[in-house]
Amino acid sequence: MRLFSALCLSILPACLWAQDPKPPVNFAEVKAILSAKCLACHGADPKELKGDYDLRTREAAIKGGETGDAAIVPGNPDGSPLYRAVTWEDGAFQMPPKENDRLSSAQVALIRRWIEAGAKWEESATTAVPSTKPTEAWSSGPGGIRIATSGGRSADWDSRTYEPDAVWAYQPIRKPEIPTTTRRASEITLARSASEGISVTHPIDAFLLDALRQKGINNFAPSADKATLIRRLTFDLTGLPPTKADLDGKYESVVSQLLASPRYGEQQARHWLDVVRYADTSGFSNDFERPNSWRYRDYVIRSFNADKPFDRFILEQVAGDELDASDPELQIAAGFLRMGPWEHTGMTVAAITRQQYLDDVTNHVGVSLLGQGLRCAACHDHKFDPLPTRDYYRVQAVFSPVQFVERPLAFLPHENIAGFDSTKSIVEQRIAQVQASQAALRKKNQEAAAAFLAEKRVKSLDELPSDQRPTQQEWNSGTFGLSKQDLSIRKVNTKSLDYLQRELKRFEPFALSVYSGPANGYTTVKPLYELPRQRTGTIPIVHILPGGSLETPADEVTPGVLSAMFASNDQLARTDWNSVPDQTAGRRLALARWIASQDNTLTARVIVNRVWQQHFGKGLVATPNNFGKMGARPTNPELLDWLATWFMDNGWSLKKLHELIVTSAAYQQSSEGSDIDELRQKDSKNDLLAYFPPRRLAAEELRDAVLAASGELNLEMGGPGVFPEMNWEVALQPRHIMGSVAPAYIPSRTAAERNRRTIYCFRIRTLADPLLEVLNRPGSETSCERRDETTVTPQVFALFNSEFAANRALAMAARLVKEQKSDEPRIAAAFNAIYGRPPTAAEREKCLAHLARMTEQQRAHNPKPTTLPTSIERGMVEEMTGEMVHWTEDLSVMTNYQRDLMPWQADAPTRALADLCLVLMNSNEFLYVR
Amino acid sequence: MNCSYPSRRDFLYSLGLSLGSAAFHSLLRADEAKPVAAPGPLTPKPSHHEAKAKACICLFMEGGPSHLDTFDPKPKLAELHMQEFSRQDKFASQMASGKRYYIKSPFEFRQAGKCGHWMSDRFQFLPEVADELCIFKGMQVDSVDHPTACYQMNTGNRFGGDPALGSWTAYGLGSENQNLPAFVVLPEGAFPQGGAANWSNGYLPAHYQGTPLREHGSPILDLVPAHGVTRPMQRANLDLLAELNKTDLSRHPHHADVAARMEAYELAFRMQTEVPAVLDLANEDANTLELYGIGTPETDSFGRRCLLARKLIQAGVRFVQLFEAGWDSHDYLDRSHTQRIRCIDRPMTALLKDLRRLGLLDSTLVVWGGEFGRSPDNGVRGGGNVVGRDHNAKAMNVWLAGAGVKAGHAVGATDELGDHAVEEVHHVRDFHCTLLHLLGLNDNKLTYFHEGRYKQLSQVGGQFIKELLA
Repeated sequence: MRLFSALCLSILPACLWAQDPKPPVNFAEVKAILSAKCLACHGADPKELKGDYDLRTREAAIKGGETGDAAIVPGNPDGSPLYRAVTWEDGAFQMPPKENDRLSSAQVALIRRWIEAGAKWEESATTAVPSTKPTEAWSSGPGGIRIATSGGRSADWDSRTYEPDAVWAYQPIRKPEIPTTTRRASEITLARSASEGISVTHPIDAFLLDALRQKGINNFAPSADKATLIRRLTFDLTGLPPTKADLDGKYESVVSQLLASPRYGEQQARHWLDVVRYADTSGFSNDFERPNSWRYRDYVIRSFNADKPFDRFILEQVAGDELDASDPELQIAAGFLRMGPWEHTGMTVAAITRQQYLDDVTNHVGVSLLGQGLRCAACHDHKFDPLPTRDYYRVQAVFSPVQFVERPLAFLPHENIAGFDSTKSIVEQRIAQVQASQAALRKKNQEAAAAFLAEKRVKSLDELPSDQRPTQQEWNSGTFGLSKQDLSIRKVNTKSLDYLQRELKRFEPFALSVYSGPANGYTTVKPLYELPRQRTGTIPIVHILPGGSLETPADEVTPGVLSAMFASNDQLARTDWNSVPDQTAGRRLALARWIASQDNTLTARVIVNRVWQQHFGKGLVATPNNFGKMGARPTNPELLDWLATWFMDNGWSLKKLHELIVTSAAYQQSSEGSDIDELRQKDSKNDLLAYFPPRRLAAEELRDAVLAASGELNLEMGGPGVFPEMNWEVALQPRHIMGSVAPAYIPSRTAAERNRRTIYCFRIRTLADPLLEVLNRPGSETSCERRDETTVTPQVFALFNSEFAANRALAMAARLVKEQKSDEPRIAAAFNAIYGRPPTAAEREKCLAHLARMTEQQRAHNPKPTTLPTSIERGMVEEMTGEMVHWTEDLSVMTNYQRDLMPWQADAPTRALADLCLVLMNSNEFLYVR
Repeated sequence: MNCSYPSRRDFLYSLGLSLGSAAFHSLLRADEAKPVAAPGPLTPKPSHHEAKAKACICLFMEGGPSHLDTFDPKPKLAELHMQEFSRQDKFASQMASGKRYYIKSPFEFRQAGKCGHWMSDRFQFLPEVADELCIFKGMQVDSVDHPTACYQMNTGNRFGGDPALGSWTAYGLGSENQNLPAFVVLPEGAFPQGGAANWSNGYLPAHYQGTPLREHGSPILDLVPAHGVTRPMQRANLDLLAELNKTDLSRHPHHADVAARMEAYELAFRMQTEVPAVLDLANEDANTLELYGIGTPETDSFGRRCLLARKLIQAGVRFVQLFEAGWDSHDYLDRSHTQRIRCIDRPMTALLKDLRRLGLLDSTLVVWGGEFGRSPDNGVRGGGNVVGRDHNAKAMNVWLAGAGVKAGHAVGATDELGDHAVEEVHHVRDFHCTLLHLLGLNDNKLTYFHEGRYKQLSQVGGQFIKELLA
């Protein structure tokens, strides 16, 4: 922290005031705090004063509330209940009561000084707050820095001040000197083990060691052994376990090979898709498939593999269509703007779902690219950050011309559509089944109608007296002669067709994209948003919506950027960079250029930090989606800035950045050491990286690694999502969609399709694969900045008991039995496949004994064959009758389903070996990257 | 910077993982050491204030039960029945726009209990426990479509992704039974719209996620090993795993997570026998089964789940939520609500009686309600023959019973058409605060730092509704 204050002081000499122990108290500052934090309950509504305490006047403020005691004793803060309350030190009496509203330490200190100085209540002209029209971008004074923005909704907010380190991320990125102290002399060794002495040449190490030494930690941990290191490297860069060639290779060449591997792009994309909330369906009531979300996913993978400069990657995603409407790749890229869950139905309000989209995309661009969530400012000026609600709506105005389009766009030569024929036939077969059921109901209706007419001996209803006729409704709607059960099935069928027909769109060349234009009039529910012919007209004017409510619009705004950022206040000094045009097209491109810029103080820091987190488990800023006041402070601000600058100087190349990081000594140190208990005394969270932080495999890494170990992993790239086997109870679990139940989840027919890398698995928002979910794969509602690593017992059920785990272990055993002739080499091969090392003698003995024991037990145990269902009984409460309705869903599409090798098809020794493989797959050495 | 940032992972470290990883750690290192239960994420925690309710059973009626046809009679609608009007409103859905008709309730209403709660005559059993109920008619929500309204009712956030009420409760109070999930969900056959996000742990650690127990098949997914693997076989595999892990631990003595993971395997092994025992209804006597309507087709499913809820609460589970769908009566209001009420009436009455009989109602909060109420009017359907009600976010009713609740009172009221709440009007966030308050939790203190702010169930803070409290 010492370091960081030094940094602030150096760039903001004006903050030197802080060295004065007793600066004068400006009542305007105090009043601003009181109105922001207290007056809502203690003055805004004089009839509803909480605790009967009124803070509107000095007399009342001193007098206190219902307890009868004085609340303020001028000159004596410690004797003033008001002061004690705002310190939050007394657990029983804390004000403001909400954690979120709690006063900062600077604010508490100000209140203290104010009471010390006599709690003066002077609203003189000299303390008047400045007008909302900014005069200078940054100024400092009592209480901290004042920042001119596009203007808050109140003078109090505009006059608010910030602690310098709360707004660090809005200040320019610097390129700090690489610390020289650590370069000093040959006595400096890189690792705590003296035998590994290498002089410090790597800049990352220089920065980290400098910080460590200030904590009294002299050096990094010894270097990890090579096998551990290579395994760490392959999982970090590709999400896969090392091959034998990797383990035998020279470290630097393995780094280059992994970065050149297509697996790199897949792993990097997994991280990015967490940030953008990728899914293949739209969420909410129907959770319909979105046509060809996968094209965006593959675009992301391609971009990372090609090492597309990250600034270009941003431009393409935010404004690809505006950048070049003729480049197909860029239309796909703009799918970024549609990644969130969104749905409009006959039961939702069009104005509201549109606003929901605009709010979502506004916040999302902030979170994903700028590390600054904007949502708080949708309702009010931001409570902590220099983000007026006006800025929120200025950014929203950038997106106000965004219209959805499923753009017809021929599949590109590099897009994988090889599996279309087989998967399409499954969807078609299911549709045909439902249509047959509908036809049978139609026939029943027609026959009943004919029978009715025949019985009445008439040719048409008109010939009958009206009291003998069925109702018009019944006769004309095709329901005559159908039972309640039939009607329910007809409804379920209709919905299933709707659902399945959207799946068919997967095979048509649409791209999930956007264009800029006036409202397209699509306020009804559409399976596809087509590009309308008429694309000119006026763009809705965006208003500030206090409280986020559409019903009470306030000031109009024009498109703009975040005005608090250094040099970004277009009202003070408008530049090409910090301003956004007001016409229909080009708003997003202007915003994207502001984001993807060397001058943007957030963008490079944010992505560099995300990449750092991929390698060290935690970012230099521990909150990658929040660089604001309530986010974490950088643990090593100089390093973060140095990296961000280096990254931009190196063409925004992520591959170079990865290479830089993994070639540091810091990355290559061991996660263990005899002195770790001692280090934890000095740096409890290992923020300064005195040893390598181990991590558990992420859900996808774990699934992929298990498939790699079993030899089943199919590395085919790209194309529509595949459907792996998931727990059958979940796959066949009925789930409500609007008015019905969704058709069953049907896994892909062949093992090869099912065993693709997890990133290629179809993601249904409301149906998570329980294996992945339990291993902390996040839901796709909100952006995930960092995976959790909780340990919960359902993980044991998923990894030790599930059919998935059992089948992978059996497949692996069968492979080993085929490849090796006896138990010993099989055990060795199993260890190599799972741990990347041979067993020790003791391990080999234990495993041999286990195999013998399990072979015996397996001989006595005869697994019973099971069959897969060809149909499933469905039931739901029918809302038209309130009764349960039952029907049978035809699953005969499963007829040619290619099952995994099952235990009843394997002999006892193979099954015993599978037991061993299962144990290895569940062991900590496998589950963790050290 | 003075504001220290608590990271999610650090919370877990500081809480410990499951049953005291430190204790387990020492157990492995020195066999003579006895495991001491260090606090885990589900260890019972003191409440924020004294409260009677120690557990909660929430009966969630998915689809939006009609207040106008359950507990909020509107004689005025009988006068206006089938009277036509038109609605064109920017803020009305396609469904609620255009030609509309007022619809009277197809049911008669009568007063029940000493307190005189109004109930539709379709409730045949509930009147017996009317005096246990506190009916609240002043609630409002923000959303008129099911998934967003369900998300809001269950998590406070319309768009999903936040922790559910049950997760917050488990986070705040822990659980009395470390071998069962703290928050159990008993869905009906089909999962609700919006899926598992309705019982998500959101940004809270995964220990607080709602665990659906299935009526059929394995109650917890993969509780039983695949392919009929026997317990001795599994024990043998577990023993080898423990040996391998022990060697690994000796090589990585400072890796904090691994001991907890080793312990999780043992806990899982115990759960395999304990969970089915708790769920077994075979030992219940015939009278109890009869009381809940188990064995009668219409009430069997909900009855089983109500009885199971009681057993789970007895076993120390903190929060049990039942889902019962089919309340979305846009058409055929008469027969569909009649049937829905029939399915729940007897089981939920039995639940209240049974909890009372066992003395559990003094420490258990029971909540009944859906995601929104229904409209007094309806569109043109089936030529006006098929009447029902659409969605209504501005008027609904819910009831509470049990610990700490002002039994025998009706609080709040809607206008004469039942279109809007007009008395004791509260947003659902206040209702959430009230439920937490009844469970001894303060919404303002039950916070979790995420994405730059201390988040809470009420989203932006609210106030508990004093009138609902005893």
